[in-house]
Amino acid sequence: MSALALEPLLGDGFQAVATLDDTRLSVAFSGSGDMRAITLLADYLTQVHEEALRHAVSEVRCDFRKLVFMNSSCFKSFVVWIDTLKGAPDAYKIAFLTDPNLHWQRRSLEALRRLAMNIVSIATDAVD
Amino acid sequence: MTLPLGDGARVSLTLLFEPLVEQITSLRSAMSDLCAPHVTDADELSRLLLAAHELLENIVKYSSGGMAEFHFALEPGERGLCARLRTKNRALPERLIDTRQRLDALAAAQDKLAHYDAMIRESAGRRDGSGLGLARILAESEMDLRYSIDRNTLTITAEITVSERAEP
Repeated sequence: MSALALEPLLGDGFQAVATLDDTRLSVAFSGSGDMRAITLLADYLTQVHEEALRHAVSEVRCDFRKLVFMNSSCFKSFVVWIDTLKGAPDAYKIAFLTDPNLHWQRRSLEALRRLAMNIVSIATDAVD
Repeated sequence: MTLPLGDGARVSLTLLFEPLVEQITSLRSAMSDLCAPHVTDADELSRLLLAAHELLENIVKYSSGGMAEFHFALEPGERGLCARLRTKNRALPERLIDTRQRLDALAAAQDKLAHYDAMIRESAGRRDGSGLGLARILAESEMDLRYSIDRNTLTITAEITVSERAEP
């Protein structure tokens, strides 16, 4: 398997770091996704999608446990990503890993899950 | 920043400022600190902070210059604490029209969640912005929204009743 061509996203107060194993691409998000992160995130998710296809993973896991907030524009970047994937639902699934103590995550991610219930799943696990 | 004037208000904060994006996270954090001693439910606090963040970003994005106002208050109500967020800013005519259309559509929607889901689907094709900030306040924060327009000044108010922490 070739290496993951996905540099860490190191924005001002917002970060994302991707790792790859045999069947899964995992992206750990941290910080606060606000106005300063919008363009960075949109571009990054495009790259995540391309890498997920290139490596033929079965799942992309988005670890939100250290993501303290996400604004509506960053939320939209996930909508666009999921909408892209709806055209190829067998390509891979998206699994969000959340922290139950970050209450906004449940509400926002449930809205994403309703967008594509056959693609998006949500799991909960508090940060150690 | 002014000190509380309302009778029995737990928190009352009015900020007049030239809004900048780098101020929003620290304002949200300050609001969290101000509310934490009074708001019992962590989910309710999270919803308030989400709404505050979206309203603050709106005035950063859409103010047409000059000072903007951000007001937040927690006041005793009949069933708990009334939490009120209010922004006031000057905006361009096209922004005022767009906001009026959005908020009127939100108010008219019979099923708020279905309307929100439809807006989310539509947002995927939008080139500029998400168009979801105000809808998110209604659907995710579950706050009542109202607005007024006075010439070129837009005022948006979000309100909800939250649980008050019992006195020790």
